[in-house]
This record gives sequence, C-alpha cells and structure tokens, in this order.
Amino acid sequence: MDYVREKAPPVREDRLQTCNAYGGNCCDLAGKSKQGCLIGARRTFAQAQGCQLNLSLAILNTIRDSVIIVHGPIGCGGSSASSAGINKNFLKLRDAGARDVPWINTNLGNNEVIGGGEANLRAAILHAEKEFRPSAIIIVNSCVPAIIGDDIDGVVAELQKEVNARLVPVHCEGFKTRISASAYDSVYHGILRNLVYPPEHEARVMPDELEDLKEKYRLSRTVNLLNVASMSRADEVELTRLLKALDLNLNIMPCYAHPDDFQGATEAALSVCICATHDDYFVEHLKERYGVPFIISGIPIGIRYTNQWIMEIARFFKLEDAARRLIAAETGELEQALIPYREVLRGKRVLIGAGEIRVLAMAELLRYLGLEVLGLRVHHYDKFADAMLSEMPDEKLMYNVATGQPFEQANLLARLQPDLFVGHTGANGLAAKQGPPIMPAFQQSGIYMGYNGVFEIARKLARKLRNPAFNRNLAANTRLPYVQEWYDQDPFSYIDTGDMPVGPVEAEQRNAG
Amino acid sequence: MSNFVDRPRYLCALGGAVGTLKVLPRTIPIIHAAAGCGGNIANALNGSAGYLGSGYCAGQALPSTNIYEKDIVFGGEERLEEQISNTLRLIDGDLFFVVTGCMVEMIGDDTLSVSRRFRNQGYPVLAAETAGFKGNSYRGYDIVLETLFREYVDVSSVKDPKTVNLWGVVPVQDVFWMGNLNVLKSLLGQLGYRVNTFFGEGETLDNLKGAGSASLNIVVSDTFGIQAAKVFEEVHGVPYITVPLPIGSAGTERFLRTVAAALQVDEAIVGQVIAGEKARYYAYLERLSDVYNDLDLQRYCVIVGDSNYAQALTGFVADDLGWLPELVVITDILTDEEQKLVAGRFGGFASGIAPRVVFDTDAGNMSRHFNDLWPRNRSQRYYDAFSPAFVIGSAFDRDFAEKLGAPHLSVSYPVSNRVVLDRAYAGYAGALRLTEDILSVLVGNR
Repeated sequence: MDYVREKAPPVREDRLQTCNAYGGNCCDLAGKSKQGCLIGARRTFAQAQGCQLNLSLAILNTIRDSVIIVHGPIGCGGSSASSAGINKNFLKLRDAGARDVPWINTNLGNNEVIGGGEANLRAAILHAEKEFRPSAIIIVNSCVPAIIGDDIDGVVAELQKEVNARLVPVHCEGFKTRISASAYDSVYHGILRNLVYPPEHEARVMPDELEDLKEKYRLSRTVNLLNVASMSRADEVELTRLLKALDLNLNIMPCYAHPDDFQGATEAALSVCICATHDDYFVEHLKERYGVPFIISGIPIGIRYTNQWIMEIARFFKLEDAARRLIAAETGELEQALIPYREVLRGKRVLIGAGEIRVLAMAELLRYLGLEVLGLRVHHYDKFADAMLSEMPDEKLMYNVATGQPFEQANLLARLQPDLFVGHTGANGLAAKQGPPIMPAFQQSGIYMGYNGVFEIARKLARKLRNPAFNRNLAANTRLPYVQEWYDQDPFSYIDTGDMPVGPVEAEQRNAG
Repeated sequence: MSNFVDRPRYLCALGGAVGTLKVLPRTIPIIHAAAGCGGNIANALNGSAGYLGSGYCAGQALPSTNIYEKDIVFGGEERLEEQISNTLRLIDGDLFFVVTGCMVEMIGDDTLSVSRRFRNQGYPVLAAETAGFKGNSYRGYDIVLETLFREYVDVSSVKDPKTVNLWGVVPVQDVFWMGNLNVLKSLLGQLGYRVNTFFGEGETLDNLKGAGSASLNIVVSDTFGIQAAKVFEEVHGVPYITVPLPIGSAGTERFLRTVAAALQVDEAIVGQVIAGEKARYYAYLERLSDVYNDLDLQRYCVIVGDSNYAQALTGFVADDLGWLPELVVITDILTDEEQKLVAGRFGGFASGIAPRVVFDTDAGNMSRHFNDLWPRNRSQRYYDAFSPAFVIGSAFDRDFAEKLGAPHLSVSYPVSNRVVLDRAYAGYAGALRLTEDILSVLVGNR
C-alpha cells in the first residue's frame, strides 16, 4: 500500500469495498460480500449519520498540544462544543499538564463561497500559531472548500515556512464517502505525511556501547499500540498491564498522543491494532516505508478475542509460553469471579449494535456469558469482519448493516423484544423509548477491554437488569415517530439492493473470463 | 480583516433551523444535505444544550437525504423527492419541513420546487434554504420563522385584541428557552393576554396557524427574530415591538411596562401585577438577607453571553444581586448597527453600574479583554484585586474562570456541564432560580 504521495487517501468504498446498507443474516452477508455486490446498496429512506469529518475530529481533538482548524462554514465541527469540557479531563488522564485542544472555524460565508476561503484559512493558521503556540496545527477540510477549490495544501506549504507548529492538513470532506470510517484513513494520511518520520538521534559525546545495546533491546520490544477514540483510559491501562506482563514497551497512539510521539512509531518492533477495521491504512504504510510489521486481530473484548490478541503478539516475540501462563492465570481468576453473574445473565435475550468489530466481539462474549444473541447491527461491513463472522456459531443470525438508521433498529426491537440492548452512542436514547435496559457499547470512561473488561461488562449488564425502571417508564410514556404500520413491515424494506453496479471483485472475474 | 471564529458558540443556519424545528410540536424536519450535517447537529445540540436529547424526530432519527459524491455530480433532486415521499409514508407528523445544507445549494438543487410539488398535492410540506454558509444558528431560526409566517400561518383579517405572539427567545440556542417562554407567557397572561410562543409548553401547531389574528408581536430580543417580525408585519399586518430579555425585578418591570404601553393596558393593572410578583420575589429573597450579609456574597463579575443574555444577566447581577459586573463579552456575530443597539442596553442600570462591553466571538480572547480592563498586580503590597469574583458564561468559559480563580456557572450555549429541563431564568420566577444556582455554587463546598 502506498498512497502517501497522494494529497488525499481513497475512500473506503473504493479501497475496501465497504458497505453500510444490508439486512439479512451473517452467512448470506459473507457470501454477498465475496461476490462484491454489496457496495451499491443504499437506502430510499435515510436518517442522519456522521460524516468522516465528524469522526476525524473524534480522533484529532485528542492530539495533545494541538489546535484544530475546521475549514468550513460556521457549523462544521460544531459537535466539538459538546465534548470540549470533558475532553480536557481525558487529556489530563494521559498528561497532567495537558492543555485544552481549541478549534477554530474559518466561518466560510457567502463571500467565500464566491471568492474562495484561502484568506480565512491563512488568517486562522497565523492566529492559532500566535495565540496558542501549539506543536501542531491540524487543518480539517470540509465540503465547501473542496467544491470551491481552495488549495489547502498550497496554503499549508506556503505558511509552513512562517510558523513553528507542524501543519497537518486532513482531507475529510463529508460528501466524499458514505462510510464515516474513511475518517481513520484521512486522519492517518495527514499524520503519515506530516508527523511520521524517523526521529533524529544525537550522537553520544562519549561512546557507550552498553547503553546503545540497551536502547536497541528496548526498541526490539517496543510496540505501537493503536488505540481508538471510543475507548477509555481504563481500557488502555488494562491492555498496557497485559502487554507489560510480556515485558513489552508501548507507544500508545494516535488518540491522546503528542504530535512528536508519531516519530517513535517508525522505530518500533511491531504495530498492534486494537480494532481490526481501524488502522490498516496506517500500519500498512508503516510497514511499507519503515519496515515495521503489524498485527490486525479482532479486538481484545471478551475472553476468546483477548486471548487471541495476546497470543498473536506473543507469537511475534516468541513468548508463547509466557503468554499461555499469563492467560491461564488471568482466565482462572476471572472465571471464578464470573460465576454469580452467569446465574443472572443466563438466557437473557440481547440485541447488539455498534461498530462491526466491537459488535462481533461483544456477541461472542455475551454468548459466552450465557445470553442469547438475537441479532447484530453494525455501522459498516468490510473484509476485516470476515474472520470473526466465520467463527459465528449461528450462520443465520440476523445481521443489519446500518450507520445509525434507528428506524430499522426500532422495527427490530419491536419484533425481537430483547431483554437487553447494547448500542452505540446516539442510538441508545431512541432504543430506550422501547423499554429495554441498555448498556452502551462503549464509553470513554469505564472499561470494556481485556479481562477486567469482561468482568466489568458482566457486572454492568447485571446492574442494568436489576432495575430497568427508567427506560420502562419512558416506553410507557413516550413514543417514537414511526407510523404503527412500520412495525408490521420488513425492517429492511427501505434498503435498495436492485440494479446495483457491479462490484470490483465481480468485475475482475468478468474481465478474467 | 478575517472572520474566523475560535470555538463558535452556535452552529450554522442549518443547525439553527434543525434546533428550531425539532422543538416545534408535531413537526418533522427533513434535511437535504450531505451525510454528516445531521450527525454533527445531533451531537452538538444534545451535548451542548443541557442534554436536550434527540427529541421526537431528530438526533439520529432526523430524516436526511445523506447525499454524497454521486449526487453532487448528478444533482440531488431525485433523492430528495424519494426521501420526502418515504418520510411521509413512515413518519407520523403534522408538518414536514425541508431544510438544506451547503452542498445541495452549491450544486443548484431546486429544493423549494421539489417540496412545493408535495404541497400542491395536499401534503403538509414546507421548505427553506438554510445552507451553513448563509449564517449561524440565529439566522437559521429567523429563516424558519420567516417561512412559517409566510407560508403556514393563516392570513386573518380579524384581529383578536387579547392575543399576542411572542418570540426572539431562540429555542435550544437559549438552553433555557422552554422555561423562559413559559415564564413570559404567564406574565403576559396576568395582564389578560393569550400568548402564542410556538415552542413553549402546551403550544400546538394550531396556535401557530392561527397566529395571524394576534394584535401584536413581541420580539424578546434586539437581534433575533427581527427579520421574521418584518415578514409577519408585511404578510399579516401585525405590528411588532422589541423588548430585551428580562431577568430579575428591574428588568422584568421594564419588560411589563413596555409591553403594557404598546398594548395600552391600564397602568393600574400593570402596577398590580408588578406589585404581586415583586411581593413573591422578595418574600423569597428575604431569606438570603442573612447569608448574603454574613458571608459577604457580593462579587465582582464577568459575563459572557449572546446579545439576549448578556444584558439580561448584567442587569440582574447589577440591579438585583448588587454585584459588580465589570466586564461583559458579547459573543454572537452582529452588524455594526446591531452592536450599537445592543450596547445601548448597558446604560440605564438603576445601580449606576456601567460595565465595559466588548463584542468578541472568540473563546480564547477572554483573558486578553480582562487584562485590558483590570490592572495586573505588579508586586504591589496593596493591590485592588478582582476578587472575590464570579464568571457567568458558557461551558467554554470555565477555563477563563479557573485562571481567574473564580467560580463559574454555565448559562449561555454551550451548556455541557449542566442538565436543563424546565428551568427558567427569565422574569421574577426565573431570577429566583438563577439566584439559587449562582449562590449554590458559592456555598457548594460547605
């Protein structure tokens, strides 16, 4: 993979044939995807979803000692206002001295739509430099400047000579893709082009071979641990604990990293993804350019996938025996602790929704805890789910690919009447009006990952079941906006799979034939 | 001079339009926009407005065409038509209102015509162009009201002398809009008037539809909803007055007297209402006589807010609490003319307090304005410090308050550190809530 020379990365529809409109079952989905025919599916009724700019900000707002410039009309990036207060606290969990990450909107109005917005961008960059003296100024590009043809990279190249901060353009125009996960690639693209380069090492005045060897040894056991914005500091602490037990050192990035931290990524022995669909763009490029190999393996949620994740890392470092001992010790203690929760959770029926990798791992864990999984809703589908899907014991399990689209969720909840719902931020409040107790699929506080995550998830589910009064009352006293007839219709009746363009795989087969 | 904004305290026109429509009863907003506009607005409005939630049919449930690259190339009108017709099929609402984002306006989609075709077939579908580059949330509020007044409110030649309409308190952008509208409605109710507020408790679309028979429009703002008032006057022949948002005894008395004069209410009746409200107000404030004076709860104060709140809060802390609001920063984007109008509201306080009033949209500039105003301690032994102090602003101003070593209360958008339901700050009743909230911060660690 080598897209770094390009100004912007390809969108995920093109690069990975990612799709976000499907309703059926796991088995059928895997078959269809292999024929490459999901990509053209779309909805004839749709509800609001995030774009790649929104999701880019979720990551970029965490980069320490930075200023974000949202190049767009005044509303773009507005959701940052809702998390600005808490974001600073999360930054301080990583670095007690961390400053807030401010953002500046370039406020493109009628005049700029006609005359171009580069002057606003230039002024905003200079203001950010003068006012905040950050290590990096990250420019996220929105739809409007892309259409009017602002030359973001030109402005950056010109101003980089005048400012000390590293300028990082991120091309994440919302209209370019339906797959908000394209944001991961857009963000990494900006980071790869501007923040990832080998660090300069000063030569020692007095040669010290022992120290040199120690440093070399340290780097040979250093891992780039690629985190996700939806995880908590507690999750990081748990994964750090497990990898430290194998005597590994960690560079945790991209979220909550300092701009300088990315240089270290080029010297690590290995990159490890926490979520399989999150980082392939970054780790492939690191491998291509700096020879850093990588592991993409599910997500360390639940015992099975945590074990697998640890074992794959251990295998790379030839530490399998140590890892087996670690896993045995961890799971032995955990199993004991889970006994009372298994009693409470046995046979409870659950519907799960969120990002695909999280959902698949959560399903595996909840089954393991004795719940009955009724169906899965995932934000998008791509090849990174295939391995986990193939391990799904029930091939006919209901599978709905939808970025949000709570009308489909409402129909499914009414149909399935689960005892519990596990859902993505934004979908939970709507599900609550149908009454089930709800566990958020992730939180930036709390713990979901590793062995401690398993215990905390079990504990949280049991707590939710103990008193579901709040949501039950909501269901009795509020309603969703859908007409009654909707609940009798096929939940996927607004997915248009007809006259789909030929997918790339199929096209290849045709060409070959 | 460039016009970037450091941490805007509002969304774009589309965001303001959605915020307005999502709280209009039985109304279903449909956005014709790129995927992402809806998601951004949902997250912003929920988390920045006291945890407002998705509402009946917004948040992630907001119907949206989610247009993307292919539609940008080929045009999005077909997609819009499909989305409107399926929304009518799937969603239970009484009014469907299409609002647009930047992309579809830039490619020249004729949203209004597409929507009109539905309307001509008898469906309750309205539309307005609210591209983000047209302005901020306040502009979106105005555009929605203008459209409703032009196209939804019935024209009525008969006016009801006892009915008035009231707006200018911008829903969601004023995080306490619901409570504030309730309070103002109840005050004018005491003067003997039925009040349509469109967005307050108990309002229906029928109130809005019949609003053309009102005899006066009361715009509780110098800056928001003014264009809409002009449209209303032009279409329905109802005149309007503007009055500043009132908080506390002095402000609310001025509000009641201004409205009463315009409606030619008997002075004795106004006097009675004011006397009754003040009696209740001071019966409660009397309780604070001890704590205010034993603990010396007078404070220097910095106020940060939009043009509605800044003058209302300043008047309240100056004339009711007897505080010293030395610096006021007004954060919305205003024309020179509007600035002059708004600045004029800071002259007539009974306490004689005249704060420095600054217009600045940028969150990062608070310290600079403060340092311009208040001399620093240059190692003097005897220094006239800005202490004890208090900051009333938004969640953004907590950092500034911390630097000042002052406690802080979020009142203006964004309010992400408080949960707000029916709380009001307007009027006498609202001033009691605000007093509770401010002084509770001061006694909070006892």
